[in-house]
Amino acid sequence: MRTVLGAVLLVAWASADARPGEHPGRAAMEQSGFAGAETCLACHPDAGRQVVGSVHWTHASKVDNVEGIDKKAVHGMLNRIYTMCNGNDVINDMKEVRSDSGKVKFTGCNTCHPGNHVQGVASKGPGAEKAVDCLLCHSSEYDFRLRKGYRDEQGRVAMGRDASLKAALAVGKPGVKNCMACHEGAGGGQYNKRGFLFSKETDAHAAKGMLCVDCHQGKDHRIPTGFDPNLWANDGLRLSCAGCHTEKPHKDADYNRHTARLACQTCHTPLTGGASAKDFTRWEKQSDGFWEPSTLKHEPNETRAVYAWFNGSVKYEPHLIGPKGSRKDPKSRIFPFKVFEGKAFYDKKTGNILGMDFAPPMQTGDALAGVASAAKIQGLAPYDPVPGWQRIYFANSHLVTKTKALKCGDCHSPGGILPFPQLGYSPAEVEKLTSSRLHFEKSLEKQRAEWD
Amino acid sequence: MNLIALILAGVLASGAGAAAPAAEGSRPAAEAEVGKLVGSVVRIDMAEDGKSAVAVLKDSKSEEEVEIFVDDQLTLDKFKDKRISAGDEIRCKYEVKDGRKHSTYFRKVGGC
Repeated sequence: MRTVLGAVLLVAWASADARPGEHPGRAAMEQSGFAGAETCLACHPDAGRQVVGSVHWTHASKVDNVEGIDKKAVHGMLNRIYTMCNGNDVINDMKEVRSDSGKVKFTGCNTCHPGNHVQGVASKGPGAEKAVDCLLCHSSEYDFRLRKGYRDEQGRVAMGRDASLKAALAVGKPGVKNCMACHEGAGGGQYNKRGFLFSKETDAHAAKGMLCVDCHQGKDHRIPTGFDPNLWANDGLRLSCAGCHTEKPHKDADYNRHTARLACQTCHTPLTGGASAKDFTRWEKQSDGFWEPSTLKHEPNETRAVYAWFNGSVKYEPHLIGPKGSRKDPKSRIFPFKVFEGKAFYDKKTGNILGMDFAPPMQTGDALAGVASAAKIQGLAPYDPVPGWQRIYFANSHLVTKTKALKCGDCHSPGGILPFPQLGYSPAEVEKLTSSRLHFEKSLEKQRAEWD
Repeated sequence: MNLIALILAGVLASGAGAAAPAAEGSRPAAEAEVGKLVGSVVRIDMAEDGKSAVAVLKDSKSEEEVEIFVDDQLTLDKFKDKRISAGDEIRCKYEVKDGRKHSTYFRKVGGC
């Protein structure tokens, strides 16, 4: 009854006394306090249902662009196993891990899930809707110290939150930090998975003051994403550069001719970073006493992208997750990718990759104990673990540069960046495409203009 | 070769050396002292104007507390909203300038 009354009062006060640019309902919240998602749902009754139906909550969706998978089932972080993570929300459900020095860490794949963990990934219904941590994404004053695992009064592993009035009064459109608080830590370390940093120094869009949600414009809490060989789960909304930029984005007609077969990213995101390789069969002890899989890491913009044709569909094999496409396919364009190689255990009997529960190796470094625990969770037996590598292509669509974009001579010169032979060009074509004769006059003119 | 000629040759040689680019792997005299450490955050003291901070890290090797001066906006933002806070494990690189250790790299070790 108190909740209903509170909701009615909030609705009544919500529209009153809001200053321009200020979220309505401020006065009501100042008077009544903030009671978590229930307070938000009083004025946004559909928001809870929308969020728990979105990929941010379900961590999976039906996927129609990946070959060889069940199109009727859902796929995503909830249940996938691949070598950037080697686990999923089920195998690596957040749990309490203790180091041999007695330090305690709450860790798991679903630590980024915007709920309280008691209502976990893909939970549904009113309980799930009330467990949504709205402020995690919507408050500019969120205190991220409070978002950490703990044991609740019933001994359950739960996720903390900042439900303070201060955070609630700073509610609004998600800022960059709201997104990056989770997304930059994916893959087991800062910038590991995607390899990019969205800052004014590293991205032309960030330099213009744009936010993540200016491109990833949500609709009813569904967030659009681009096509990416390794990002399978989606909210059914897609975005691309063409959402804002035209097919003829350059003043130079020669550059514009390239857009038919080259993605914008080919020239505008030529560099990448993050983890380039990771070995889940060999863990290393860290300074805090916990063990982590041995990983080769790079800073954003520190490594070169790899180029391949991509038509939006995905080749999926036990040892490769990569783009499909070819020069002959009119739907294909050349894209840059962040290529990652991961080593994990495979089942010798089936050839499939085996999952790993990180809790045992984090404590002791024993990778096979992690495989055994994962197999038990999955009900998988018997199995025969053998190490193997997997290559994964990630989309490389951030770290956008205008000033350092590739120019004619970067590709069309001997030893140029694009691997024309691998992209399907004949030796005679390669000879022509890698000659400065193609652009000599134009480049000379630009060189002169630079010094005039 | 007499002593004067030897000294003259030495002066000329050192002059030529200063003009030539430094060989790979050598360290120019003017290069700042650099260092790195891995350690946990003991505390973070933000400057009143919010434009800099001093992070005190406990070096995991020496167990000593080390003061790191931080003024890059990205890290300061993480201090302000507590994405980096006491207890977090950090990898840090720094340059010694004016007797202070200026952060050039300040990253949390952990991820998800």
